[in-house]
Amino acid sequence: MRPATDTGRDGVDMYDVAILGGGVVGCAIARELSRYHLRCVLLERFAEVGFGTTKTNSGIIHAGQQTMPGTLKGLLEVRGNAMFDRLQRELGFGFRRCGELVVASNDEELASLAKMKADGEAKGVPGLEMWDAARLRREEPNLSHHLTGALFAPSAGVINPYEFAFALAECALRNGVEVRLEHEVAAIAPRPGGGFVITSTGPGVPAGAPPVEARFVVNAAGVHADQVAALVGADDFSIRPRRGEEYMLDRRLEGIVTRLIFPVPTPASKGILIIPTYDGTIMVGPTAHDQDDRFDVPTTVEGSEEVFAAVRRLCPSLDPRATIAEFAGLRAVSSSGDFIIGPSRVPGFFNVAGIQSPGLTASPAIAVHVTELLGRAGLPLVARDDFEPSVAPPARFAQRTHEERQALVAAQPLFGRLVCRCELVTEAEVHEAVDHGARTLDGVKFRTRAGMGRCQGGFCTSRVMRILADRLGVPFHEVTKRGAGSWMVLPMEPAGEGPEARKEGAPCSDA
Amino acid sequence: MTETTVQHYVCISCPIGCPLRLVHEGDQILEIEGQECNRGAKYARQEFTDPRRTFSTTVPITGALYGRLPVKLSAPLPRPAIPAAMEAIRQLSAEAPVRLGQVLLRDVAGVAGVDVVSCRTMDRVTM
Amino acid sequence: MFGRMNRRYDVVVVGGGPAGLAAALGALDSGVSRVLVVEREPEAGGILRQCIHAGFGLHHFREELTGPEYAERFVLQAMDRDVDVVPHAYVTGLAVDSSGHRLVRVLSERGGLSTVECRAVVLAMGCRERTRGAVRIPGTRPAGIFTAGLAQKLVNLDGYLPGRRAVILGSGDIGLIMARRLMLEGVSVAGVYELMPYSNGLTRNVVQCLDDFGIPLHLSTTVTRIHGRDRVEAVTVAPVDETGRPDPEKSWDVPCDTLLLSIGLIPENELSESLGLALDVVTGGPKVDSTLATSLPGVFACGNVLHVHDLVDFVTEEALRAGRFAGEHARQLRRPRDTIQLVPGANVRYCLPHTLSTDRSHTIYMRAKTRLAPCVLRVGNLLEKRLRFVVPAEMIHLTIQPELLERFYEDRLQIDLVPVDGKGAP
Ligand SMILES: Cc1cc2nc3c(=O)[nH]c(=O)nc-3n(C[C@H](O)[C@H](O)[C@H](O)COP(=O)(O)OP(=O)(O)OC[C@H]3O[C@@H](n4cnc5c(N)ncnc54)[C@H](O)[C@@H]3O)c2cc1C
Ligand SMILES: Cc1cc2nc3c(=O)[nH]c(=O)nc-3n(C[C@H](O)[C@H](O)[C@H](O)COP(=O)(O)OP(=O)(O)OC[C@H]3O[C@@H](n4cnc5c(N)ncnc54)[C@H](O)[C@@H]3O)c2cc1C
Ligand code: SF4
Repeated sequence: MRPATDTGRDGVDMYDVAILGGGVVGCAIARELSRYHLRCVLLERFAEVGFGTTKTNSGIIHAGQQTMPGTLKGLLEVRGNAMFDRLQRELGFGFRRCGELVVASNDEELASLAKMKADGEAKGVPGLEMWDAARLRREEPNLSHHLTGALFAPSAGVINPYEFAFALAECALRNGVEVRLEHEVAAIAPRPGGGFVITSTGPGVPAGAPPVEARFVVNAAGVHADQVAALVGADDFSIRPRRGEEYMLDRRLEGIVTRLIFPVPTPASKGILIIPTYDGTIMVGPTAHDQDDRFDVPTTVEGSEEVFAAVRRLCPSLDPRATIAEFAGLRAVSSSGDFIIGPSRVPGFFNVAGIQSPGLTASPAIAVHVTELLGRAGLPLVARDDFEPSVAPPARFAQRTHEERQALVAAQPLFGRLVCRCELVTEAEVHEAVDHGARTLDGVKFRTRAGMGRCQGGFCTSRVMRILADRLGVPFHEVTKRGAGSWMVLPMEPAGEGPEARKEGAPCSDA
Repeated sequence: MTETTVQHYVCISCPIGCPLRLVHEGDQILEIEGQECNRGAKYARQEFTDPRRTFSTTVPITGALYGRLPVKLSAPLPRPAIPAAMEAIRQLSAEAPVRLGQVLLRDVAGVAGVDVVSCRTMDRVTM
Repeated sequence: MFGRMNRRYDVVVVGGGPAGLAAALGALDSGVSRVLVVEREPEAGGILRQCIHAGFGLHHFREELTGPEYAERFVLQAMDRDVDVVPHAYVTGLAVDSSGHRLVRVLSERGGLSTVECRAVVLAMGCRERTRGAVRIPGTRPAGIFTAGLAQKLVNLDGYLPGRRAVILGSGDIGLIMARRLMLEGVSVAGVYELMPYSNGLTRNVVQCLDDFGIPLHLSTTVTRIHGRDRVEAVTVAPVDETGRPDPEKSWDVPCDTLLLSIGLIPENELSESLGLALDVVTGGPKVDSTLATSLPGVFACGNVLHVHDLVDFVTEEALRAGRFAGEHARQLRRPRDTIQLVPGANVRYCLPHTLSTDRSHTIYMRAKTRLAPCVLRVGNLLEKRLRFVVPAEMIHLTIQPELLERFYEDRLQIDLVPVDGKGAP
């Protein structure tokens, strides 16, 4: 299958590119590179791709009119947005252009909307329209009647970001990129004769496995990007995590708004929003608070009060008691304030850092941009003619019509076995998720929605664990929530042994 | 010479849950107070002279729909015998089919007449 | 017959727990013969299959049974009387055809997506547990947070333990029962924390599940934060004031690897909501008339999907009636209309059914808002009954005889619980 590039260009068995970090950015780069005759590897600390900031954000594909003109992120945001229709057709993730409204509550804010419209048009944001109060009330009757107008941007959309990342990684894998999970990059050394030697640790690294050698390294390690860059002294920047809390509300609020609702932004943030998610739930958030810890992402009492106080000014009937889940994510805010993309002071080592919001939107454009830069630095970009841009989309039983469901069950009886009652997920879909790479409960949850509904896994957890155990060929108690350390249950002790004798589940490593 | 001592119980015979005070001298009950009705005194006396408990648990079962078979004691056991009974049950296992009420272990913890019995029928399933 | 499903029935019951099984038997009692029970689990029996402790059946069988024993008695009766019970089958929706028949959409492995026609439907889907989101506990999102019922299923059906050291939030009966269950299996229970100043469980369970094992019960205390990145490492707990606000100054951390939530049950109302049934905001279940019929003609409800019960015996009683009325509806027997609205008054959280007729006796279920001891239960000016003790956790039931109602000409009947002093004077 593989062409002559299987061994490195200098005749040594090494990768052309190693991508560090399997968030949406790393996965998009991996897929983009897989269009060419290259040998690439992606190293990711967690048990599955997309388990960092990529699965804990607002899931918005921004139109682009809100970002400062003249910034790299502003440029890549508008470019990225335009790529999503095609990506959606190829990769089948949940995505809908629902449009967004930036709403004003006084004349001063109306004036800044007018400026935003002009800026946006200059950047090429399509279809921007000013709405007066009457139009706003007609289109979104549940918003506060104090609002005086809005800027409508039809090209904004909502996406299931984890599905996007999973599909990107799967497509890259299909086109020959190696994806190594539970590989935490611990050391990077220059390789005599050029390139890098990358040593990983973690439960996914087989004992005695040799380090990865690669000609180019792309650092897409999210909030850890400065630490990873520091491993080779390519850290002429720093990252400060900025936590954002989000609150997911019960499905019965579906339709309370049909478009994204933004307040007029402040210089610090886009503010706290109302998000009609792709799956039909309503989400509100995020907050924005700097913190030092790069792993701990707690939600707080203050955060929830802040979020609901803010969104109730926009939509008074949003009730905190409708919350079914809450989470928080970390934005990787760079010392420059903008995206940092390109070669570093260490030749061959590229940083893709500081990818805070709108990083999700920009990610496909980032990938194209990084590929071009790598090409300019000497990576030979020879297009493959067997590149396969698509992956099979998930069945999404719950969204099918009666007739479609009938056809699915007729073809595969496991579509007749319900696993998650809140979100109507069937056993066939859980199997499908495993076929597409799910290895953990969260991996199944983010691929199928089993456990995301109002009962939050009360009904489906043990069923999904059972299927995962069968499919991965591990005992039930070795199934984890999201990889090493996140064990779910312990076996009852064998006869005669005390509880001390119990061992927690070993990590279920990537198959 | 034994001294008079006081034991405190909470009556569980009805939802009111009267706090009971039982005064005794050695084995001799001198006084029971705090109850709003006679069942309270009866309860305190039983708790003092011969407290009994029953419990349910599960044992592993093979060849059935689930991996565990629920079991119970056929009658309450003296409280001090509970740990030994639990330990004895821990050694048990069953194989489907099992019938409701089937005795899995007789005279558990050496107490005559208290058996470990199955709480449900579990058919053999063919995988 | 087990596993058989025809295309036409008199009555279709959604859910094969104790409510669904009793409803099926009630329907047969009314004279219909074709009854189907649809159950999404691999077998009938409902939540009782995992409630292995004793305490069921004291009213109905005058005998103390474990959950699985109680369930099996009803499964056997249903088999004997030729009820069709299909497991692994899920009711996804309900419609009405032009001739007024109910069409029940059933998803199952064997039958695919099929439509069953019937004249009456009984909803008996049970309830689900409130989750972390409902009480919004801040902190991280590690593995090791379980609802008590999920932990009960993992331990009692699957045979796995949720962890080594658990904290239980909520002192309802399920939490108390799980505390003992875990201790018996060698899991240590650091404590049970309850927001209210009193336990929500039966005294008997506090004594036998906690006191017997030396598990502390902290009243007026709640969990204010969850710690741990991959797995729970500790929780912060804090005392609360009368309004339920935690005092962070007095908080402390409890190391544990497991948090069990026993913070309440809510009727499983997906189907009820999608049918557009009128719901009672307090119970979370449908509004019903004195025949347990919902706002959609020919659709009845009983058991935990109607309102959350604490004793399965009352579930059985209610479901037998619902099944009987559904059977009568299928046979097109007509009853006099309800003319009286039943409304909760002082200290009554809710009462059911929502309306009454004057032609027959009625069983009324209600819950108190607070603990009162003693008090008088007053039904309009028709009836007064002295009760020694009421608590929110225990349902109150009452039968009203037709003699009383025959002479009642108003359209509204209010139920009050009036506290009285020890001598019985209000
Ligand atoms: C609250 C919130 C809301 C947001 N909303 C939006 C939005 O609506 N629209 C939008 O466009 N953007 C949004 N963003 C921004 C967007 O989520 C991010 O820009 C995007 O997810 C960044 O992707 P990434 O791949 O750079 O980071 P990540 O997803 O964090 O990926 C980095 C990966 O690198 C791995 N890694 C780190 N160190 C190592 C190591 N040493 N070895 C191996 N692997 C390592 C991590 O495990 C992680 O998986 C939001 C962000 C937040 C926090
Ligand atoms: C954890 C727990 C402990 C309890 N302990 C006690 C006790 O000690 N003593 C006591 O007397 N009572 C106890 N109870 C109360 C009593 O057991 C319940 O009130 C009783 O089981 C309720 O019966 P049900 O049939 O309404 O609900 P369930 O038993 O929950 O049955 C509902 C059934 O419907 C099925 N179903 C739901 N939706 C669908 C659908 N769309 N299609 C097909 N099938 C569906 C479910 O799978 C389930 O089997 C306890 C309850 C719980 C939850
Ligand atoms: S003594 Fe009587 S009233 Fe008091 S708790 Fe016991 S049974 Fe109830």
